[in-house]
Amino acid sequence: MSLLKIENLQVSHGPLQALWDVSLDIAAGEKVGLLGANGAGKSTTLGAVVGYYPVQSGCITFDREDETRSEVSQRLSRGMALVPEGRRLFTDMSVRENLEMGAYMSGPRRKLAESLEHVFSLFPILNEKQRQAAGTLSGGQQQMVAIGRALMSRPRLLLLDEPFIGVAPLIIRDVMDALAKIAAEGITIVLVEQNIHRALEFVDRAYVIENGRTILEGTRQQLLDDASFGAKMLGLD
Amino acid sequence: MPFDIFVQVLLNGILLGGIYALVAFGLSLVYGVAHILNIAHGTLLAISGVFASLVYMHTGWHPLLIIPMIVVPIFAFGYLFHAGLLRPLASRGKHDETIGTVLITTGALIMMSDITGFAAGTQQRNIPVRSEMLEIGDIILPWSQIWILGGIVILTIALHLYLKYAWFGRAVRAVTQDPLGATICGVNGARARALTFAAGSGLVAVAGVLYALVYPVDPYMGFSLTVRAFTIIVVGGIGNLAGAMIAGLLLGVAEAFTAFLWSPKWAPAISVILLLIILVVFPRGLASWQKT
Amino acid sequence: MSRAAPLAISVAAALLVASVPAFAGSYISAIVFAMMISFVMAQSWDWVNGQMGYLNLGHYAFYGIGAYAFAILLTRGVPLVPCFAAGIFFGALAALIVSFPLFRLKGDYFAFATLAVVPLCELLANNFDGLTRGSDGITLPPNYVLIPAFYMVLTLAILTLCVTLWLMRSRFGYALRAIRNDEQVAEVAGIRLFPFKAATLVLSASFAGLAGAIQAWQFSYIAPNTMFNLGVALVPIAGALLGGSGLLLGPLVGMVLFASIEQALLTKMTHLRDAVIGLVIVLIGRFLPGGILRAKWIANHPVLSWLSRESHFEVKGEGGPAGERLPLSPQPVNAEKVVLACEGATMAFGGNVAVNNVSLTIRQGEIVGLVGPNGSGKTTLFNLVSGIYRPKTGRILIDGKDISQFRADEISHLGIGRTYQIPRPFLELTVRENIAIGRTFGASKVSLEEAMRTAGVFAAYVGLGGLLDRKAELLSLQQKKALELARALAAEPKLLLVDEVASGLSTVEIATFVKHIRDIRDHYGITIIWVEHIFSALQQVVDRLIVLDSGAVIADAPLHEAMRNEKVLSTYLGHASAEAK
Repeated sequence: MSLLKIENLQVSHGPLQALWDVSLDIAAGEKVGLLGANGAGKSTTLGAVVGYYPVQSGCITFDREDETRSEVSQRLSRGMALVPEGRRLFTDMSVRENLEMGAYMSGPRRKLAESLEHVFSLFPILNEKQRQAAGTLSGGQQQMVAIGRALMSRPRLLLLDEPFIGVAPLIIRDVMDALAKIAAEGITIVLVEQNIHRALEFVDRAYVIENGRTILEGTRQQLLDDASFGAKMLGLD
Repeated sequence: MPFDIFVQVLLNGILLGGIYALVAFGLSLVYGVAHILNIAHGTLLAISGVFASLVYMHTGWHPLLIIPMIVVPIFAFGYLFHAGLLRPLASRGKHDETIGTVLITTGALIMMSDITGFAAGTQQRNIPVRSEMLEIGDIILPWSQIWILGGIVILTIALHLYLKYAWFGRAVRAVTQDPLGATICGVNGARARALTFAAGSGLVAVAGVLYALVYPVDPYMGFSLTVRAFTIIVVGGIGNLAGAMIAGLLLGVAEAFTAFLWSPKWAPAISVILLLIILVVFPRGLASWQKT
Repeated sequence: MSRAAPLAISVAAALLVASVPAFAGSYISAIVFAMMISFVMAQSWDWVNGQMGYLNLGHYAFYGIGAYAFAILLTRGVPLVPCFAAGIFFGALAALIVSFPLFRLKGDYFAFATLAVVPLCELLANNFDGLTRGSDGITLPPNYVLIPAFYMVLTLAILTLCVTLWLMRSRFGYALRAIRNDEQVAEVAGIRLFPFKAATLVLSASFAGLAGAIQAWQFSYIAPNTMFNLGVALVPIAGALLGGSGLLLGPLVGMVLFASIEQALLTKMTHLRDAVIGLVIVLIGRFLPGGILRAKWIANHPVLSWLSRESHFEVKGEGGPAGERLPLSPQPVNAEKVVLACEGATMAFGGNVAVNNVSLTIRQGEIVGLVGPNGSGKTTLFNLVSGIYRPKTGRILIDGKDISQFRADEISHLGIGRTYQIPRPFLELTVRENIAIGRTFGASKVSLEEAMRTAGVFAAYVGLGGLLDRKAELLSLQQKKALELARALAAEPKLLLVDEVASGLSTVEIATFVKHIRDIRDHYGITIIWVEHIFSALQQVVDRLIVLDSGAVIADAPLHEAMRNEKVLSTYLGHASAEAK
């Protein structure tokens, strides 16, 4: 059953059109990758899904309801959450305050203690550092806070935008494991990632975006088998 | 300088500095959240003080009753002012937004001063409450000033706790530090900005009533307070209440001693000269605060 | 409209104004006098705002200082001419002094700090009462000088317009507009910021100082609260913005309109005049971001449109070598010579180490590909080399010279050129002007005339030949990237840093670009470091690949060797690539 469906999305940043024709169809419980070169439109797609960028045309359906024009807060309360590019933490606030901000909407507020416990069980290091200012953490720990903050709203759909940037190689493994646990709980995951190898190791299925258009879609195995896919991704025409 | 006079001047400076800090809190919060440098900020104090004095003269009510009478309309005024005039500027380019903000807030300053002067007269006024004196040795203090000092302390602590623990207070800090991050947590940034602008205005209205209890006010004195508040947030850091309180107290004490030891006419120069010196000596420190 | 018409109109207007005292009474003459003073203030203020992009709210302080300097000397029996000179001198001196603290600030901070200068001056004028007679003010010996003062300020107003015209077409003025558009890029393009900024403020303050002196002479009375009044201080600013800041005629038209409104109010109202002026200022701020002259109905009006035209440098005859040849002198290539060396360069932001102990060597005539995943430190490395950041530790050497502590403009003059990942052309300027700024302020140091004339060759080279007079903001992303390359090349760099040009280009366009890169090296001896994600593009041209990951160099080898490197494949490309092969 389809959880998130995007049809023919068009989005502009000022005079610059970023998305020309993006269509995705993601079922509940799936792990889906969005792949593509820098500037292809992956981050813009996630921003449009969560409502941060206004949509020019096309539509976004989430759990059978049209969300194309709704407010960010509305989409959050319906179960979307975004781990944005560059983490966007509140650097002078403590780890715990950052996480609690993730439960800002009235629904999640009531389950605050429970959600915190859940995040700490996924990332025990955050429990130890909960009083520390988020800006003083290492890149990997900051990424954990960003993922934890998104989880605090009890999402059904977790959108992750390049969550491994600035994360030390050894820690990437930990974060990947945590993501696998999150997926195992039944949360649908959309992962934007540059490293194809890493992305295909994790996702069931992926879309390739090029110049603001979805140009390719396939399961993990299909994409691994498809020689033209690798060439396309690297520009090795 | 004899010790009792020293203490007396020191206490005067602390009182003055505490009020300056209240003025600076509003300016600092508004700048942090909405990136608006409200040049009319201090003028709100001036007109609050003038109208509080008028109300007192006509009714003789207790200042504690007058505070809400002044603060509620100024709060509402701040909200509408932001929503109607400043918020639409956000869609402009950076430089045009700055120009728009400066013209609107300065134009508002001129209008508020002139209309208040026309309606209430341009003369200096105050709220002449009668107060018992507290005598400790040779030091004599009116009880009213002690109550004011206590009020400032309570307001500061309440504001600090609100920003630290209340959901909306945290949302305000979140918008200050990362607007996008706050949006994806479900914070409505536009509403947070308008309410903060209103709250900053309300806070300076409280300061206005307290100020008129101790010092004379007139419709045209506001800008010099805005300058002081700006100096305070440059020294104390944007959005940093503790820093603003310390900087405010230091400025108040410095002005009190300048006025006493040298001449009252030089006291207002301190803030501007201090500001210019800081800009020369700590440009990098300043740059790091200007995370725009 | 023909070229002679504006000149004829200007002369006619000047003569008309000049004849005012002859046929109109002294009342009208005094009004026109006051308007001209306001115009000089508005226009000289707009050099700093409209040209350079700094919102100076303290302009009136220089006016007051000029007036006080004049009045103090005149009452002490000094002859008239030195008194006026003192007005100019002290206005300029005050500007020079405050430049040092004020230009450490930008944006609204700058605006606010300048505004604080006005009440400081009022305070000083009040307090130094031995010199200024405090709040009583200074009364000058009664003299009817309206007529000479009128012609003096008319001359000053004409001079003000001439300076504006000069600023719009000179090398100096283009430096200011580059600063207004993007200060950091301007510095990297070779413009030393502070002298330009301070000189402009001093120039504008000297005009304000003279205007203040003339006003004091005519009015024969000055006092702190009239000279440094906050309401008055904003009038010329609001007037300039009402007309259209940055346009040749904006401040003039705006000030005439504003002064007319003011006059109408003065005659009709006894109370609340300031409130109405304040309201006008609020409305200008809210509804007229570009001023009246930028309004559509004027810009498209058949008769009025010339008012809103922008003034640009006029090119007399295109020039430069024909065909594909760029007007660059080929540099002799010595493959042993080290152009750039990084020795343990490190850069950290807070706890995040963006460039970690990087050492590398680039030799003359090399084309080096710099690759790595997002966030691996490529752009930060470029920022270190071009002087936007200074390394926390380690050294960076260009031609053997340690540039770790150099400013960006000094580095530019050593022959380092660059483009930006997200293109940053000077958006309000045309393609030609962008290229000419790169050329006249960069390492090549040719004159502005020469740079403007030859800009077309560079534009044609990158495929923008037909768009020379189009503003950069109207270009597409790819065209902006092409423009940046042209701007960097025009500076005649020894070493060119190219940051991601190929993404979004078609295969054919990439091939053209690759050809250019090779051509730049082969024909002009320019060394190139190219950051790129599109591998096929790099593959065609680079000699060597440097791979960054998490801020550190993980490979530095000839292209084919690097591409077989297991570490590179796994961190950057992922195993999928190996499998895809």
